[in-house]
Amino acid sequence: MNARMDERGSRSPNPPDPMESSRAGPAPAAARLAAALGARVRSWEGFLAVLLLCIIAMNALTSPSFLTAENQVNLFALSIEKVIVALIMTFVILNAEIDLSVASMMGLSACALGWLVQQGVPMPVAILACLFIGMLGGAFNGFWITVVGLPSLVVTLAMLIGFRGLARVLVEDRSIKEFPAWFEALGQQPLVGPFPLSLIIFFALLVLAVVVLRYSGFGRQVYVIGINLEVARYSGINVARVKMLLFTTSGFLSALAGILFAARLGTVRGDMGLGFELDIITIVLLGGVSIFGGAGSVYGVILSILIVLYLRNGMSLSNITGHLQTGVIGVLLILSAMIPNVRSFLAHVVRPGRLR
Amino acid sequence: MRLRAETRREGVLLLLIVLVLFGFSLVIENYLSARLFNRVSASVAILAILAIGQTLVVLTRNIDLSVGSIVGFTAYFVGQQLSLDNDIHPLVAVLMAVGLGAALGAFNGVLVAFCRVPAIIVTLGTLALFRTILVEYSDAQTILTVNLPQWLIDLPRLNVVSYERLHLRVVVAVMLGVAVLFQLLLRYSSFGRRLYAIGSSPEAARNAGFPTRRLVFTAFVLCGALAGLTGFLFLARFGNITVIAGIGQELKSVAAVVVGGINIFGGSGSVLGAVLGASLIDLLENSLIRSLQISEFLRDALLGMLILAAVAVDSVLMRRRRDR
Amino acid sequence: MKFNKLLTLSAVVAALGAGPAHAEVMAEKGKKANLVLVPKFIGILVFDQAHDGAREAHEELGNPGTLEFIGPTPENSVAGQIEIVTTATTQGQDGVMLSNNSGDQIVPAAKAAREKGLTLVTWDSQIPSAEGEQVFVAQVDFDQTGVVMADMALSILGEEGGDFAILSATPDAANQNSWNAAMQNALQEEKYAGLNLVDIVYGDDQSEKSYNQALALIDKYPNMKLIMAPTTVGIVSASKALQDEDLCDQIKVSGLGLPAEMVSYTLNGCAPEFALWSFVDLGYLTYYVTYLIATGQIEGVEGETFNAGRMGTYTIHKDPTRENGLRVLMGPFSVYNKDNVEADAS
Repeated sequence: MNARMDERGSRSPNPPDPMESSRAGPAPAAARLAAALGARVRSWEGFLAVLLLCIIAMNALTSPSFLTAENQVNLFALSIEKVIVALIMTFVILNAEIDLSVASMMGLSACALGWLVQQGVPMPVAILACLFIGMLGGAFNGFWITVVGLPSLVVTLAMLIGFRGLARVLVEDRSIKEFPAWFEALGQQPLVGPFPLSLIIFFALLVLAVVVLRYSGFGRQVYVIGINLEVARYSGINVARVKMLLFTTSGFLSALAGILFAARLGTVRGDMGLGFELDIITIVLLGGVSIFGGAGSVYGVILSILIVLYLRNGMSLSNITGHLQTGVIGVLLILSAMIPNVRSFLAHVVRPGRLR
Repeated sequence: MRLRAETRREGVLLLLIVLVLFGFSLVIENYLSARLFNRVSASVAILAILAIGQTLVVLTRNIDLSVGSIVGFTAYFVGQQLSLDNDIHPLVAVLMAVGLGAALGAFNGVLVAFCRVPAIIVTLGTLALFRTILVEYSDAQTILTVNLPQWLIDLPRLNVVSYERLHLRVVVAVMLGVAVLFQLLLRYSSFGRRLYAIGSSPEAARNAGFPTRRLVFTAFVLCGALAGLTGFLFLARFGNITVIAGIGQELKSVAAVVVGGINIFGGSGSVLGAVLGASLIDLLENSLIRSLQISEFLRDALLGMLILAAVAVDSVLMRRRRDR
Repeated sequence: MKFNKLLTLSAVVAALGAGPAHAEVMAEKGKKANLVLVPKFIGILVFDQAHDGAREAHEELGNPGTLEFIGPTPENSVAGQIEIVTTATTQGQDGVMLSNNSGDQIVPAAKAAREKGLTLVTWDSQIPSAEGEQVFVAQVDFDQTGVVMADMALSILGEEGGDFAILSATPDAANQNSWNAAMQNALQEEKYAGLNLVDIVYGDDQSEKSYNQALALIDKYPNMKLIMAPTTVGIVSASKALQDEDLCDQIKVSGLGLPAEMVSYTLNGCAPEFALWSFVDLGYLTYYVTYLIATGQIEGVEGETFNAGRMGTYTIHKDPTRENGLRVLMGPFSVYNKDNVEADAS
């Protein structure tokens, strides 16, 4: 029995979806299964879309500055690092894994960048080095998960602490701000039209994520592994390779987000991005991605990103501060996970046997 | 069989603690002193009680990420009540903390056990929610030491027994009491054994006719109650309680549990392991911060490695056991 | 935009007409300006007091606009302050009063606010590079703070002196960093020769962390005789830690603290002497400065003199403690000991 099987099979006393139990055959059955799940997920996306429209309408009514182009760009720019990482987190969670170390990797790469620049390393080299650190850190996670076979929750919890520790070793309790002007401009000035570089990178990654997950063989493999690990193995998927690739990419993109974060603030310090992992995971889960893997879509996550950003922005514009925002999103998260259960419960009561 | 594996694990942890003590005694002058014991034991007590609560939940293959917020909430609430009325009986204050914690835990428990929402989602949500309610409720005011009753301010200094300069603080005694109670409960009561059974195989536990939902619910309530107790000790130790008190404790408690050898997927682990795990983490932290040679900033990097090592060793031990 | 141009125009007129010598400006009441007061973070008593002072000035000046008090939570202070300043810019607020906890990380957001015509005044803690900031309302002279800290250390430790350590707030708190630097500077003087600074640690203005850092200092430096904590959170936590360890007779605490929070420690000898200024007055003065600039009554340039209600007359000067930047200096210090702490505690 593999620990990861336990995770997706039955972490809650009652799996959220009876279709997830492992009676499906190899590949074709798995594909059917995915399609069936897709139908459920699409209705979830419908719900999110309605919610999003309500939030937009409410914001537009309560704040005259909400619909300005400047505000629209700003509200993305202020959280851009989180939403970039949310994209790769979607893949990781779909794969029935989790990566808690992303925010610490953001901090590590930003601090490494500052440290390298302080040592006199040319900026482009430093940036490449930081991206490499990200891949290395991600691969390190992947090694313990795929080769040693430890649960990702534990490995990445350890590295949440470990990467943050390395970041603090590099900059201690100082802050470093000796970045070249062009680097800060890249983080703070619009590059194309009103969009800064970070937004352009995000949109590019978004398109890439949709294409890979919906239309590529790799995307299907991610789903199949998430739905049923054994089935994936039987159908000849190199599970270890896929997981390794995901964690390496997760490290890489977190490092990229860290660099963008450094450019946006123009200064780095050891506590950058502290606690972002919970926000990022919240976005993904609110998007309808099952914590047990295999169910959910990028579209749901896109809607959830918009919901979280618009909700936060709208509340900020009405002078409602950070903690209340987080609380509202927390409630939303719990409700979002409850609604499908309540619905299936009702269906069960009204027409027994016609749960699906 | 299970007990033997656990005993071995606890042995390894004890050995590690001794190694850490030995290692630091080489680099820090006057390291092994009565004060080290007094200091670290009082600090461990807080994390250990939290870790014991977390253990109960993790054993059932769940997780409680909201404990940090529960600690902050109860510390603030009880602190406020005591500031307003210095004459509240100490026992009433403790019961208030435990009760409030249990109520918050029950909220988690209902959602996980009866509404069938995955624990990680529920507690991620209540982590934010409880904190928000606290910030709103408190209007971001701070509890000040000066307004607290004298017995509470004196509590951290109170000893049960003293031997020369070696003190057994009351808070440490409370922690030991809680640890013994729950160790016995888990090992010898049917409630405890059933928690293990649920964690090992929820299906089997259900088929065996255990009231799994009620048991999971109870685990969350107990975890909340212990977090409430932690909140009370937190108030006594730090005195000034702001709205962010206890932030980040949830990850620390999970780390203590994992280092203590409790399987994150449920079914195995012991209270003693959790206490040792908490002790090791806290000892490491307290020692690194004192050392002039080793940067205190290495602390987290080392801690991360320690968790990985602990879990890897554990998984090797478990595999060997299974192969036999 | 139009408003901005008007400002520039009036600046030119003023420069042509009045020359460098400015007459004292009396505030014209009842003008509208929507202002936001931003503390380092919420949950700290002194910032609530500053809010009280700002509210007092707000009512006194009959500003029909709004006064919002919005702060981040401590664990999210930097990102939170950046977001608050950016949001205020989007909302089209007229002015932001910022106690900066973000070092120079706030600069891009502050500059963007200035470009949109917002008035940006810092108080309590400045923007180190002064970029994006118009005026800094300094509670006291920051070099003077270093001297006051050194004097308190001297008076507690006596002529023979001894080892002491600083327990500061966050590593990026511009005000604390300035004070610590100023104190180190002051220590060069002959009369402080006995005082030996062994370490500076950071408690991040959080009780738990400050408490643990204080305990660590005790162990790290067995000869340490004093912990100097230039933060109201740090000084209380350090006092509590020493009291819990029964060490108050060997190690003392000093720094900047609130009488209400410190009274018991001062009376029992843990913290025999500490200093502070009135945060109510600081909020009040900051509000005056911001209101005057935001409503175009002064421009916030060097040499301007204005009347700040009950607090009297102030002038904008170059800030001698920074390379760039202007400041309005409030002052003075109050030094508290067992004789006067009770009177101010209530």
